[in-house]
Amino acid sequence: MKLIPTDPNATSLEQLLCRGDIWRGQSHQTPLRLVVNSGYAQLNDRLVGGGWPVASLIEVCQRATSHAEWQLLMPALLANQRGLVVLLNPPANPFAQALLKAGMDLERLLIVEAKDKADFLSSFIELARSDACDAVMAWQPHQALSYTELRKCALAATEGQGIYVLFRPDAVRDQSSPAVVRLSLQWQLEQLSVSIFKQKGELVADKGAIDLPLPAAWKGLLPHQQLDQQGKSKPRIASVTPIHGGRRGRR
Amino acid sequence: MTKSTSSPQAARRLWLALRLPDLPAHALNLAIDSPEPLVVNDKRGLYWMNSAAAVAGLQLDMNPTTAQLLTGCVLHERDNNKEQMCLAQLAESMYQFSPYIETYCSKHEPQSGLLLEIASCLRLFGGAQALSNKIEQFFTQLFTQRKMTLAMGLAHSQAAAWLLSFVHYPIDDTSDRADFIERLKRLPIDFLHDFPKQVDALEKTGFVTLGDIARHIEVQSISSFKKRFGQTFADYLCDLFGIDQDFQQRSLFEKPVTHFKPKEFFTGQLQFDYPLHQIDQLQQPMESLLQQLAGYLQSRQLQTQHIEWALSDIYRNQNTLQIYADSPQSQWQLLFDLSLIQLENRDLPFEVDTLTLSCRDSLPLQGRTHALDFEPGRKINRQSFSITAAKLKARLGDASVYKLSYQDGYLPRDTNQKISLTQTCQQALPDIHQRAQRPAWLLDEPVIIEVRRQGLYWRGRITLIAGPERIQGNWWREPSARDYFIGLRQDQQRLWLFWDLHKQQWFVQGIFS
Repeated sequence: MKLIPTDPNATSLEQLLCRGDIWRGQSHQTPLRLVVNSGYAQLNDRLVGGGWPVASLIEVCQRATSHAEWQLLMPALLANQRGLVVLLNPPANPFAQALLKAGMDLERLLIVEAKDKADFLSSFIELARSDACDAVMAWQPHQALSYTELRKCALAATEGQGIYVLFRPDAVRDQSSPAVVRLSLQWQLEQLSVSIFKQKGELVADKGAIDLPLPAAWKGLLPHQQLDQQGKSKPRIASVTPIHGGRRGRR
Repeated sequence: MTKSTSSPQAARRLWLALRLPDLPAHALNLAIDSPEPLVVNDKRGLYWMNSAAAVAGLQLDMNPTTAQLLTGCVLHERDNNKEQMCLAQLAESMYQFSPYIETYCSKHEPQSGLLLEIASCLRLFGGAQALSNKIEQFFTQLFTQRKMTLAMGLAHSQAAAWLLSFVHYPIDDTSDRADFIERLKRLPIDFLHDFPKQVDALEKTGFVTLGDIARHIEVQSISSFKKRFGQTFADYLCDLFGIDQDFQQRSLFEKPVTHFKPKEFFTGQLQFDYPLHQIDQLQQPMESLLQQLAGYLQSRQLQTQHIEWALSDIYRNQNTLQIYADSPQSQWQLLFDLSLIQLENRDLPFEVDTLTLSCRDSLPLQGRTHALDFEPGRKINRQSFSITAAKLKARLGDASVYKLSYQDGYLPRDTNQKISLTQTCQQALPDIHQRAQRPAWLLDEPVIIEVRRQGLYWRGRITLIAGPERIQGNWWREPSARDYFIGLRQDQQRLWLFWDLHKQQWFVQGIFS
């Protein structure tokens, strides 16, 4: 009796196409990959897979004096309250009051300071490989990271199970990077503007900025010259007119 | 009723007391034969002195200041811990002579030493006299550099042997229990150093020697001493004179002599066929030695937090490497990783010929308890992270890996607390802070804001958009009064800033992110 041979090639091709690292030319079909809900519908729509990619390096560029990290990532960090959130080389001290108010469990939060580049890289790789971390938020040390070093971070990220975000200055935006998603942040008067300028699985990445809303309490009382940019919504009035505070400063 | 006979088991016991009158000086590394007067003092007064000090007229229990004025001697504070360590080391070395070793420390006199039960090892060493000679020789060899006085006493019980060490009877094989008791009876009652109150009372009632006490017990009974001086003193006398109290079978109630347990530790060594000059070449031997250590620890149900590597070359140069883990380990993997991290940034100081691993600090395996958790994934993650944390700490230092906690305080900086990974965070945020707007980043120290004609400047022009919120208090430490505002910089970055009412200055405290 002759057995009907199965076609092993068809199966293996499908399996191969399921892999995220197979180049598929101009095809817009992207393999399914694990993502974490970013907490913003418009951002999810723009991100391939519908959220922050898991086990991938995400690079966020922002101006050196500007900080919008928590606004961007806090919803995603709160979505899965299981593993650790590690801040590697943070630019300042995280303020416990603000994080508790946002709903963060401080038992999940860990801070690692690694000012030296070699220590930073080893720590990032160690943290990315640990399956206990839900998220690693890392700030590049003073010394710039080379492509090879970024590649090491990206490879380590593929071994993990969380989201791995590397914050870098806006000046490196034009440099090549092996990160899976690259985006830049810009504060606007009433929103946070996010531009995705590189994304794996999408050839034309820069489709314009996405505006993420700011908390209402942050809007406060706007200066006179900016009131006409407000539209129809009325700003919240502060309890004491701030001009009073400005006068004190001139004493 | 009192019997003066004892059980056969008790008769078999023979105790050798090794009294070390110069231990307080030895523990402090003082040369006791110095021609200068040397003195060790404790809270009560002079505790020990050398012969030069005694010649100069000093006496024990004398006020240290008086002693210093009299002779100009240097005072040395007694260190009981060091004395105990010396005794423990001596006990370890005496283990070669007897497995039954007790340490003796007098609470009232500078007299400490060891008590060896030697009845079971007489045949091995050829009698008590030969054994005492061997011990004396061993002491002479051990203390060639600095002299150490040794006084020995042999008797049927620990207490009797200790007392007989104060009078110099030769140690021989012919003396028996009756001889020991006879020698004891000649001693004055002042020798009962551990019972100063009882000695005082006995002297007042006309007792001069221990023989007087023995006669009194023979005529009346031990119960009169028990009534007047307490059970402890009566038991001590019974032990001294070998008196069996009212028991028919004393051996049933006799405390067995416990075996001395010397401290165990692991040491493993590998000698290489050729000298190693690269760190990478050490990895395999290190792994092999650590696996041996893991086998040793697991078979003895032990754990360790500290190991030591010693690298040696053929010229006997040695370099040591201390590895500490933040939690006790009985597996080798983490210790291996931590060792590699330490070696990573170094070069070998010489061509390594021998690699030695030693582990001297081990502790019994702790039964670990875990909170009841129905999410097994999470539990595994937390456990696995302890290894990552240990590696990070080894590389960056303990202070560089920490958690954050809230604590009550007036100033924002005081409410932020850095805690170690093992501590629990305080997360109960008062309502007043729940309602207020707080930035996600807090600067280490508030930074002064420049005030120009048009307004406030810190990396750009700032406009105040909300506030103020007054924070006032801390008057007991550093009075402070601040009006906090939310400021909008020209690049649309929101800042948390305050006007200091005392310093009359603007500061930026945090950054909204």
